[in-house]
Amino acid sequence: MTARQAIALVAWREIHEHLRSKVFIWSTVLLLVVVGGSTALSSVLHTTDKTYRVVVVAPLPGGLDAALQRAAKPFEAKVKLEAVRSAAAARARLETRKADAALVLSRNRIVFQKTIDTKLAAIADGGVRSVRRHLPPAPELTAATVEPPSSSSSDAETLVAMLGAMMLLASLAVYGQWVLTGVVEEKANRVVEVIVATVRPRHLMAGKVIGIGLLGVAQIALIGGLAAALLAAGVFDAPASLGASVALLVPWFALGFALYAVAYAAAGAIASRTQDASSAGLPVTYTLLAMFWLGYVTLSVNADSVLAQLLTVFPPTAPLVLPARSALVGVPIWQHVLALVLVLVAIYALVRLAGRIYGAGLLRSGPRLNLRAALRLARQP
Amino acid sequence: MLSLKDVRKRFGSVQALDGCSFSVERGRMLGFLGPNGAGKTTTMRTVFGLVEPDAGAVLWDHRPIRLDERLRFGYMPEERGLYPRMAVGEQLAYFGRLHGMSAASARAAAAAWLDRLGLADRAGAKLEELSHGNQQRAQLAAALLHEPELLVLDEPLAGLDPVAVQTLAEVLRDEAERGAAVLFSSHQLELVEDMCEDVAIVDHGRVVATGDITSLKRASHRRLITLQLSGAPPDWLPRVPGVELEARRDGHVRLTAGADVDPEQVLAQAEETAEVVGFSYGPPTLSELFLELVAR
Repeated sequence: MTARQAIALVAWREIHEHLRSKVFIWSTVLLLVVVGGSTALSSVLHTTDKTYRVVVVAPLPGGLDAALQRAAKPFEAKVKLEAVRSAAAARARLETRKADAALVLSRNRIVFQKTIDTKLAAIADGGVRSVRRHLPPAPELTAATVEPPSSSSSDAETLVAMLGAMMLLASLAVYGQWVLTGVVEEKANRVVEVIVATVRPRHLMAGKVIGIGLLGVAQIALIGGLAAALLAAGVFDAPASLGASVALLVPWFALGFALYAVAYAAAGAIASRTQDASSAGLPVTYTLLAMFWLGYVTLSVNADSVLAQLLTVFPPTAPLVLPARSALVGVPIWQHVLALVLVLVAIYALVRLAGRIYGAGLLRSGPRLNLRAALRLARQP
Repeated sequence: MLSLKDVRKRFGSVQALDGCSFSVERGRMLGFLGPNGAGKTTTMRTVFGLVEPDAGAVLWDHRPIRLDERLRFGYMPEERGLYPRMAVGEQLAYFGRLHGMSAASARAAAAAWLDRLGLADRAGAKLEELSHGNQQRAQLAAALLHEPELLVLDEPLAGLDPVAVQTLAEVLRDEAERGAAVLFSSHQLELVEDMCEDVAIVDHGRVVATGDITSLKRASHRRLITLQLSGAPPDWLPRVPGVELEARRDGHVRLTAGADVDPEQVLAQAEETAEVVGFSYGPPTLSELFLELVAR
């Protein structure tokens, strides 16, 4: 039997047994419902009328209010007009967030503070046209922002980044835990003696990680695929390009999983009893959580900072940070490539180290080894 | 042929194996005996690479064992190990495939062994749903279904009822007849004496005797004489040099004697004082031999 056959056989068993346990099926169904349900929720939320607050620099043309309400109707929105004396006053209103947009009719402009609301821009455009009795397609209003618009992200982008990162975190932790408990159970049941008599420990570890990893990838691909398709179809009030950031979740789950799952496998191998399983996995889980929070805080403060860029390519944080940053502000190609290369190097190094700890720890019984003893075992030939 | 040559292994301050040497030939069954902690399990684990010896060699057909050869070995560890929540039939097929069988032949072999061991109707049940005895049978099937050339079983008789022992003895005998080399450890010396041609007795990590049981017994310096007497004085003993009382109960007198003692002399003295109902003379049993060799 070749190494590949042995790994495939072990992976097949993992997939087969976990599909049978129904936990996987139900969690997938649940997550699909959540993603699909949020679509329904978002359309429900959007049916409630939104009232835009618009300031207009005096004088106010007659019939503008009625024209704006008519134009807003198809968008299921209302417009609340307020006249101010000067452009400066309008700007002050915008900056204090007392208005969503300022209409400067003398200069044919609609001005937003930071990001252009395309819906409101269209409403204002339609309303002003009808007051001036102009017909489309000539552009009436130019949309502008007070601050440069690129520096920030829309709500949808933030939401996709957050949910994506949290889904990655949850999946890495859950599937990592499957690897951990699988390893400890095999040890505790002593079935490992029979298996290791025929399969090399590192092949057993590889088969386990690959089998469970494939299940995770399938789940993420299914859910992420649904989310990306919904985004691309424009169901959400979000740029369709976000679908690409969602699609990034799949390969980065696979890479992140390869990194963290072998660490979980090694942690499992140094425990002997099922009771030790959770405490054995804690160092890995804490590392994962710490990396998540580090990435979360850094991206919240400034997604373009030097630290944010470093975390994008730093292997333990890259799987969690890269897709999120891609959704928020975009990631240049060279950082994609660098992150990929570095994480692959890290996976290679960790697989070698964890494989040795796993092989050495697997056949030991008795109390849990501490990390130093495990590393000492790993150093032995 | 499996042969161990001067195998040594130390765990910390404990010398688990201290020059362990013996061999098991194809088509023969070897009982591996020794007190608790003598190194039996460690020895068996070296065969499967689960323990790396510090020195010495573990050979199959005079060569170090390769992983692909190990696939043709069957192993039943002392602490039984199968997946508790996996269906028995699928589980056996999985182990068959780990040993290099095709999916179809592994399934067929699993079904055949479950049938032979009386578990055919439990093939779909999870292992943890089986009784202890049936789990043992499943474990045995896992070691056997790929028709191993070498079969190593650690305490296969432990915890079995007499019927199950009978089945196991038959299965192992058939395996040896098929041509497999069979090595198993046990504390049930009478059973081993019935089942095996060969034994290896290990003590303190060192093999103190090995070979076929008959020759070992014959090579012993002691002989056993049993007399069943009627009407003998309660404290009667033959006055023959080299003869010692072992036990006396209900008219039965068990004596041990050096191999050079003439049993006729003992019989003649007995006949002078009482009616001799029964008389036997022979080499010690395996149990006695064992106690003689590992007396501490």
